[in-house]
Amino acid sequence: MDIAITGSAMRTALGGTADTYAALLAGRSGIRPLAFVDQGQVNVRYGYHIGPVDEEGERRASDWLTACVAEAAVQAGLDCSRQRVVAIVGTGLREMRGVERWHAEKRTTVPATLHFGAAVRAALPGIDEVITVSNACSASSHALALACDLIDLGDADAVVACGADAMAESMLAMIGRVGDGYSEAVRPFDADRQGVLLGDGAVAVVVQRAGSSTRSELRVRGVGLSCDAHHVTAPHPPGLLAAMRDAYQRAGLIPADAGLVVAHGTGTALNDPTEAAVLTGLFGDRPAGPRVTGIKGAIGHTSGSAGLMSLLVAGEALRHGRVPPIVGLRKPIPEAEPLDLVIDRPAPTGATLAQVNAFGFGGVNAVCLLEVTS
Amino acid sequence: MTGVRITASAVYAPGTAGDPPADQAHLLLGRKGLLFQEPAVRLALCAVHRALGLPPGRTVAPIDGAAGTAVVASSNFGNVQTVCNIVDQVRADDLRGVSPMQAPNASSNIVASSIAIRYGFTGPNLMICSGATGGLDALRAAALLIRGGRATRAVVVGTEPDDAVAAALSGGTPAAACVVLEAAGPGPGPYVEMHPVRRDDRRETAEPGWLRFGGDESDDSGATGVLRTARAARRLLDRPDARHALVTCGSAADGYAGVHLEVAGARP
Repeated sequence: MDIAITGSAMRTALGGTADTYAALLAGRSGIRPLAFVDQGQVNVRYGYHIGPVDEEGERRASDWLTACVAEAAVQAGLDCSRQRVVAIVGTGLREMRGVERWHAEKRTTVPATLHFGAAVRAALPGIDEVITVSNACSASSHALALACDLIDLGDADAVVACGADAMAESMLAMIGRVGDGYSEAVRPFDADRQGVLLGDGAVAVVVQRAGSSTRSELRVRGVGLSCDAHHVTAPHPPGLLAAMRDAYQRAGLIPADAGLVVAHGTGTALNDPTEAAVLTGLFGDRPAGPRVTGIKGAIGHTSGSAGLMSLLVAGEALRHGRVPPIVGLRKPIPEAEPLDLVIDRPAPTGATLAQVNAFGFGGVNAVCLLEVTS
Repeated sequence: MTGVRITASAVYAPGTAGDPPADQAHLLLGRKGLLFQEPAVRLALCAVHRALGLPPGRTVAPIDGAAGTAVVASSNFGNVQTVCNIVDQVRADDLRGVSPMQAPNASSNIVASSIAIRYGFTGPNLMICSGATGGLDALRAAALLIRGGRATRAVVVGTEPDDAVAAALSGGTPAAACVVLEAAGPGPGPYVEMHPVRRDDRRETAEPGWLRFGGDESDDSGATGVLRTARAARRLLDRPDARHALVTCGSAADGYAGVHLEVAGARP
């Protein structure tokens, strides 16, 4: 089954898809002082916010999502009165920020729902179905897996796979609590990495059955899923590998077909060496492995949105033949030395297939394979 | 093949079914591994344990057939109390007083991942937080995983906790339920086949003679759809004259979901 991306949009600390890709190529970072919470109380000083940050709006993630869905739907020409359209929203933190503020500020009005049904319907009135999947840091990639299955099985004509997350005080606190000092930046695969920081954002990707009428150059060849069933916070190599193998098997491809990897790369003590070792094992028998990059050094860890944001950056890299460097990476960890990490400046590529990793709390893994057609 | 069959189901409901509350989950699950587990997680584990027919006490993972089994959980308020507790401590300048063991509970998918870890389920793992239709959305997603060849079996769970924050947000009652789905196919009957879940702006109405579970949608519990499906599946097999049931859940704000359950295969 050929599944085409017929529309897409994202909002990150660095802007929309084109702006974010341009900033990544230039090695820019969207980091700024953490807003909206007391930095000392959560022991986190920086974040990758979407501005403005003078006043914290209500339902920020929902607002970004509505904008992304509207933009992607126009690109794809979606018409809910003629097409069976479904949206699946992946999120790590839902609209939990509203619950936090309601509780801590003793507000009288109970917050509206934590899910994103209303946010999608605001952009796509008449949509058949909106499902919110709260699958931690791989949520939007899980949403894409379900989206592809809905198209494959003929249950929908078009599916909008989405991600949406605004920072929550509780998650910031846990990052501040488990870290030693505080992190000054996300530095994926770097020997001197200090840990993860959060980013704001939303993303929407419309998938449809590829046909003569679709002009899109991008194809989702397969999305592999697995669960470590091992440990709630520590990644487990067999689980990561299982999701990668599932993706290639579903696509009828092999790892040697991929010329680009957009890694999960969170800049944490545990993820980066584990992911690097698994990638080294997967591509180990090749004389020249794929280029490896990642986006979290520039836009932070955008939680549930991260997977599809990586996917859209992979799409830009494949279409333009330029892979952005990993912002914040200077000296790779030993585990990542066998990999062709993109450092300092953009690297040219003639790749047509990219592997996009996303791994989440609880050992939930999703790996997407994205292809550009000529 | 669009159908899937329900091969097991169970309800664990401290309020209505007389089951021990979440803080006594060890009576069914054994003591080990329950420290720092959310009440919603404990109730969910109890429902799974019961649906799988496991003996009381600690289970050694992976259980038989666990590899490749998917988990799809639904909960809207599973961790809201913990999130608010963390924020209270933060704003009291007591970050060090928050246990690092609470870190995973700040992530809403703690229910689905805890089930996978306890029983060794390595198939796709989904946490549905979809509002009032969440329970049936979970069954819908689980059926999709089976039809799409991603899993041969899916453990579907709905759960909501009994705490002040959840109560203020939802008004629902604490309960959990588990429904186990497998691919429908020829085999000894009778069994309950689950037809595709449908979403609509309006509540569905049942055909004459069908059993009806739902119709009084009023809460935002993510457990409701699974609870009603578990009860309906049990009732269909218990009542020789019943062949069909309609299960619905939802709300005016979130829309409605419905599923038709049908007894297939010959009755003994």
